[in-house]
Amino acid sequence: MAIVNRAEGRAYLTPLVGFLLFFLGFPAAVNLIYSISTVSFETLRSPSLSGFGNYAAVLADREFWGAVSFSMRFGVLTALAECLIGLFLAVFLTPLLAKRSYLMAPLMLPLMVAPAMIGLMYRLVLHEFAGPVPYYLFEWFGDSPAFLDVDNAFRTLLVVEILQWTPFAFLLFYMAYVSIPLEVREAASLDGASALKALWWIELPLMLPTLVIAFFIRFIDGFRVFDNVYALTGSGAGGSTTSLSIYIYQAFFKGGAIGKAVAASVVLFLASLVVLYGLNWITGRGRR
Amino acid sequence: MLNLLRWLVFVVAVLAMNFPVIVTVITSFKSARELSFNPGFWIGEPTLENYTRVLGETDRFNIYGYLFNSTVASLIGTGLAIALAFPAAYAIARSEAGKRTLLPLIINLRAVPLIIFAIPLYMMYQWLGLLDTQLGLGLILTIVNTPLALVILVNAISDVPSELDEAAKMDGASSWQVMLMIIRPVVRPALVTTFIFGFITAWNEFLFGLMLTTSRAVPMTVGASFFFAASGGGVQWGTASAVMALGALPPALLGLLMYRQISASLTAGAVKG
Repeated sequence: MAIVNRAEGRAYLTPLVGFLLFFLGFPAAVNLIYSISTVSFETLRSPSLSGFGNYAAVLADREFWGAVSFSMRFGVLTALAECLIGLFLAVFLTPLLAKRSYLMAPLMLPLMVAPAMIGLMYRLVLHEFAGPVPYYLFEWFGDSPAFLDVDNAFRTLLVVEILQWTPFAFLLFYMAYVSIPLEVREAASLDGASALKALWWIELPLMLPTLVIAFFIRFIDGFRVFDNVYALTGSGAGGSTTSLSIYIYQAFFKGGAIGKAVAASVVLFLASLVVLYGLNWITGRGRR
Repeated sequence: MLNLLRWLVFVVAVLAMNFPVIVTVITSFKSARELSFNPGFWIGEPTLENYTRVLGETDRFNIYGYLFNSTVASLIGTGLAIALAFPAAYAIARSEAGKRTLLPLIINLRAVPLIIFAIPLYMMYQWLGLLDTQLGLGLILTIVNTPLALVILVNAISDVPSELDEAAKMDGASSWQVMLMIIRPVVRPALVTTFIFGFITAWNEFLFGLMLTTSRAVPMTVGASFFFAASGGGVQWGTASAVMALGALPPALLGLLMYRQISASLTAGAVKG
């Protein structure tokens, strides 16, 4: 029997639902209306409906597809690398960490620092005169790549993102790994399985749901990346580092192309619904 | 032997992942003179001059303003998220209401790129006069914090045996009283974790700070970037480093103190559902 009856339950939910409807529902509706309107900063209160021209303009914009491509590649590559490195660290370091949990603290520290702040810090780290990385590269090899130019910016940003967020994947895998029941491991070693075989045939399959979830979480976060990229390159390097989030931000603030920015928002929203639906489907199955 | 290799991997991983923070802290202790010829890892003559300048020259650096704005907005964003999520979590854990649709919907909100709401929110804020206010920023941070707060609190309340509630009800308590006087003290650790984690998340938020504030309510993450943009004569790396170190310090300290609890809450939505 439910301890809180239905009417009371609804009453407890009302403040939260009301808040979200006001701060998210209303903007969502505004998005939909503006996306099919002709609107500028002067006509914010009186947009005139004009059909799907904004969507057409966005979908015909090469910069939009450049941003989509950036976000896709960035999301997939960082999620893959973070999961692989995180998995390796979790499996390899567990004997070390299991007895000394305080060692987790420095591993988790990157997760506590603002991504925007990390982006700014890398401006220092990679600066050609003030940064230690170019300094030592010049000392040792006599040359240092321009980390943030058109050719290298994407790779640099990948490394920056991966170094900050691998701890997240590591943490998920570590938790999953140490929660594998001891009996499972004992049974495997009694049957003569080597550590590597047990990992491949028993432990990894048991961790598979976590692997999938971690990949999706990191993919979504990578796909919508804004903070560190904006702080580090400001989408610069010839527009080669414009993520979808940055595209929307710039279309609105710098270009004043409100209709386009809003239409891109709706497209992004629909895309994220598809990804979320996929994620829920997979995790729902994994649990059944 | 293998153990030595493990230590080596651990040290390399920690150094690599914390590299920008380490470099920033080192640089913040170098004098402007030393910085002009030494970008390396060692400090010839450690000095506090960058910190005394940043904290002392209040007419030039608005660091106290940024820190204050971040604190106020984060407190609003975390406190309000808990105030809204706690009763909702109680209802979800103890009744049928909200379990099927509302909870998954709000959990999914965590994965929706919030920039898609940013433009209409900007206009809404313009009409409501909330642009460039700490309250306005705090209200958005509430949205950022709500999904995780709800997940953590629903899990925590579900773990409390419902016999506790029933016993209190037998004694004549209303469900409101049960929630505040029985459940709240029992799940206090979860509330504290939610608060700390929410505070860190709110403090580190950047996009809405960038969009919704311009001068009066600028938070630390955005304020730190001013030190790179403003001065025409190149970046003052020493003071900029001191500012970044100061801005990263509060969440990093909280995180180091609470890493056990936070690791559980970071993974709450992901592993438990």
